[in-house]
Amino acid sequence: MADIESIAQSVDSLKKHFESHRYICSTQIATAVYLAYHLKKPILIEGPPGVGKTELAKTTSEMLSLPMIRLQCYEGLDESKAIYEWKYGKQLLYTQVLKEALDEVLDGAKGFTESVKRLHEFGDIFFSEEFLEPRPLLKALREEDGCVLLIDEIDKSDHEFESLLLEILSDYQISVPEIGTVKAAKEPPMVFLTSNNTREISDALKRRCLHLYIPFPDVELEQKIIQARVPEVSASLRHQLVSFIQELRGLDLKKVPAISETIDWARTLLLLHADALDPELVRSTLNVILKFQEDIENVESELHSITAKIRK
Amino acid sequence: MDRTLSNFIRSLRMADVRVSTAETLDAVEAVELVGYKDRKFLKESLALVLPKTADEKEAFNACFEDFFKFEDVSGEQKSGQDNDHPDDPQDEQTGEGGEGGSSDRQADEPARDSKKKKSKAKKPNNNLYQEETEADLGPGPMGEPSSELAQLLMANSKVELSMAMAKAGEATDVREIQIFTQKGLYARRIMDQMGLADLNQEISELREQTAITERRLGQELKRRRDWLREQVRDYVERQFLLNADVTGRKLREELLRKVKLSNVEHRNFRLIQEIVYKMAKKLTTLHSRRKKVFKRGQLNVPRTLRRNMSYDGAIFDLHWKSVKIDRPKVFAICDVSGSVASYARFMLMFLYSLDEVMPKVRSFAFSSDLAEVTDLFNRNKIEDAIAKVLRDYSGGSTDYGQALVDFRKHCMEDVDNRTTIIMLGDARNNYGETHAEILKEMYDRSKRIIWLNPESRLSWNTGDSEMRKYSAYSHQVEECNSLMHLERVVGNLLRQIN
Repeated sequence: MADIESIAQSVDSLKKHFESHRYICSTQIATAVYLAYHLKKPILIEGPPGVGKTELAKTTSEMLSLPMIRLQCYEGLDESKAIYEWKYGKQLLYTQVLKEALDEVLDGAKGFTESVKRLHEFGDIFFSEEFLEPRPLLKALREEDGCVLLIDEIDKSDHEFESLLLEILSDYQISVPEIGTVKAAKEPPMVFLTSNNTREISDALKRRCLHLYIPFPDVELEQKIIQARVPEVSASLRHQLVSFIQELRGLDLKKVPAISETIDWARTLLLLHADALDPELVRSTLNVILKFQEDIENVESELHSITAKIRK
Repeated sequence: MDRTLSNFIRSLRMADVRVSTAETLDAVEAVELVGYKDRKFLKESLALVLPKTADEKEAFNACFEDFFKFEDVSGEQKSGQDNDHPDDPQDEQTGEGGEGGSSDRQADEPARDSKKKKSKAKKPNNNLYQEETEADLGPGPMGEPSSELAQLLMANSKVELSMAMAKAGEATDVREIQIFTQKGLYARRIMDQMGLADLNQEISELREQTAITERRLGQELKRRRDWLREQVRDYVERQFLLNADVTGRKLREELLRKVKLSNVEHRNFRLIQEIVYKMAKKLTTLHSRRKKVFKRGQLNVPRTLRRNMSYDGAIFDLHWKSVKIDRPKVFAICDVSGSVASYARFMLMFLYSLDEVMPKVRSFAFSSDLAEVTDLFNRNKIEDAIAKVLRDYSGGSTDYGQALVDFRKHCMEDVDNRTTIIMLGDARNNYGETHAEILKEMYDRSKRIIWLNPESRLSWNTGDSEMRKYSAYSHQVEECNSLMHLERVVGNLLRQIN
C-alpha cells in the first residue's frame, strides 16, 4: 500500500512519482492532481486525442495503489449500466425456488388482505442488497479505501447522462430509489472525466470539476516522454523524430499526430534499427503517425524540406 | 471574502470568462490551499478552477499576468483588503501568515496620516515644476526624511510602496477608469493621495538647507519621486487595461447591437461579425440540447425479456429499438437586392453562423431569380460565402413574384408541416406581380412563415411595398433591423422549433 498522504504532499513529489511510473507530466498536470486530491474535486480533462488523458487516470491509480474503476461512455448509456441494476434472473429464480416457502408463509391466511399483510412482514427482500448488481459508479462509491474512477469520453454520452452524474460529482453520493442514498465510503473516489470535445460539456458539469486542458507537449517535454517510454532510442534520433512530429503539428492536417503516435513511431524506428531520419525511411513509416491518406499525400510532398530542416 | 481574489474574478468576467459563484468558492478554497506565495503555483491552480474552455484559459492567462504584476502579491492583497473591510474578521484566514498583518499596519499609518496632513499643506502642487536643476552632490551620508511618503521612499521597500500605491488606488476608485484620457487624472490623484504635497514641500525645504546631508537627501528624494511617478503611471495603465478596455468594448458592443444595421460603419464590420458569432454561439448553447424524437422501430427482444423478468416473464412492458430523427427544417429566403443589401449582409452572416444550431437550414438568395446557396455556405468561409452570394445574386431589380415562382418550381415539394420558412426582405416589388397565391400555398403547407422586414413598421405598405398582401399569408411579421431584433427573432424561432 503506497502512502498516498506523502505522495500527494506537494506538486513536486507528485511529479516525481509520476515520472517513476513513466508518466512524464507538466507542472500543470501535477497541480491538477494535487488540487483534486486536497480539495476532493473531480478533474475534467480535455485535449486532443492521444495526449495521455486516460493514461493520467491509469497512472494515478497505479501510483497510489488504488483500484481503478472505469466507465466507458457511449451514446445510450443509462443508469442501469452506469449505476445499478436488479439481478432479474436471480430474483426470478428465487421466486420459483421459494414458491413452496411462500405457500407455508401464506398458509392459513384468510383472505387477500391478510396474505398481503403477511408478505409485508418479510419486507422487500427481493429488492435488497443481495439482488442489486452494482455498476461502475456505485462500485466506486463502495470502495472502502477509495479508488480511482475514470469516466472515459464523457462527450460521447447523452446529455441526460451528464445530469445523472451531477449528484455523484458534487456530493459523492447516489440515490437508488429502492434502497436510499448511497454515500461514499470514508475515502471518496478520485474522479477523472475525459472528453475529446466532440460536443460542449454542460456548464453544470464543468462547474463541479477542475478543468485541465492537456495540449500537445513542447519539444523538451515530448523528448522526455519518449525517453521514459522508449529508452532504447538514441538521443540524436529522439531529437530528430520529436522535431519532425512537432513540424507536422504545424501543418494543416486532418488529424495531427499525438504523443501516442510519437511513441509508436519511436518503437517502429527502433524495430527498423534506424539511427537517423531520412526521407525514404520517413516515407515508408509515415502510416504509423498519419492516419488519413489525404494527410500522408500532403506530407509526402514536403518530406524533403522537413527532413532537411530537422537535420540541421 | 478575499478581496484580491474577488477583484481578480471581476476582471476575469470582464474578459469574458464565465465564473460562477460556486467556482469562486472553489477558487477561495484553492487559494487557501496553495497560498499567494508561489506565483506560478497560484496561477496554475487558479487556471484549473476558474476557466473551463480553451478560449477562457487564454483569456485567463493574459488577465492573470496583468493583474498579479506586483512582485509581492501578498502585499497588494493585504492593503486591498484593509481598505474596504478594516474589521474583516476573516482577515487571518486568507492564505498569508501573520507577518503580512504587521507590515500592512505600518503601511496603513502613513497613508492615513498623509490624508490628515494633506489639508495642512500650504504649497501648491505644481511647485515642483519650477525647481531648477542643481549640481549632483554625489553619494554620501544623508539626513533623515521627515514626511511619511519620503520615509517610505527612502526605506526603499518596493512592497510597501506598491501597497501604498494600491491603497491610494482604491481610495481614488481607479477601478472605475473608463477612457484612456482619464489616465493622467488618475495618476495625479493617486500621487496626491499618497502624500505628494508633503513630499514636494519637504524637497523644497531641504533645498534651502545649508547642510550637505540635507541637500543630498533632497536630491535623492526628488529622484525617487520621479521614479515613483513612473510607477504610478504604470499602475494606472494596468488598471486601465484590466478594467476599462473591456468595458469600453462592452459599451461598443452594446451600442452596435442596438444601432440600425444599415448605419453600421464599415470599420465595425469585423466587430459586428464577432458579435453575430457570439450571439449565434449563445443561442447554440441555449438550444443545442437536441430534442430527439423517437420513432418506434423493431421490437428489442433482449431488452424486453430482461425488463419483463421482474414480472415473472409475462411480457407486458415492450421495448423498441428506436430511431432518432433530427427534426427542425428551416428554409431561409433572403432578398439581396440593392434596397436591402446592407441588411442582407448581416442576415446572411447570421444564417451562416446559425448553421450549427439548426441542422437543416437551406438558404436561398434572390433579387429576381431565386437560387439555393446552401452548398455555397457549406463550402466557403463566412466572408467568402457572403461576398460570393452578394456578387452573384444581388445584381437584378427586386422581383418577389419571380422568386416565389422559382421557389415553387424547385422546392415546394420539400416543404412539409415541420418546415419553418423565414423570409428576409422589405417586400418592395417595383410594382410587379406579387404572386401572393404562392405564398399562400407555402403558408398552407408549412408549419410557419416568418417575414422579417428591415424597414420600420411606419414605412410598410408605402410606395411599392407589398407588405399588406404578404403579411396576410405569414404567421408572423417582424421588424428586424438591428442585431437585437435579430437575436430576439431567432431566439424565439429556436424555442418554437426545438
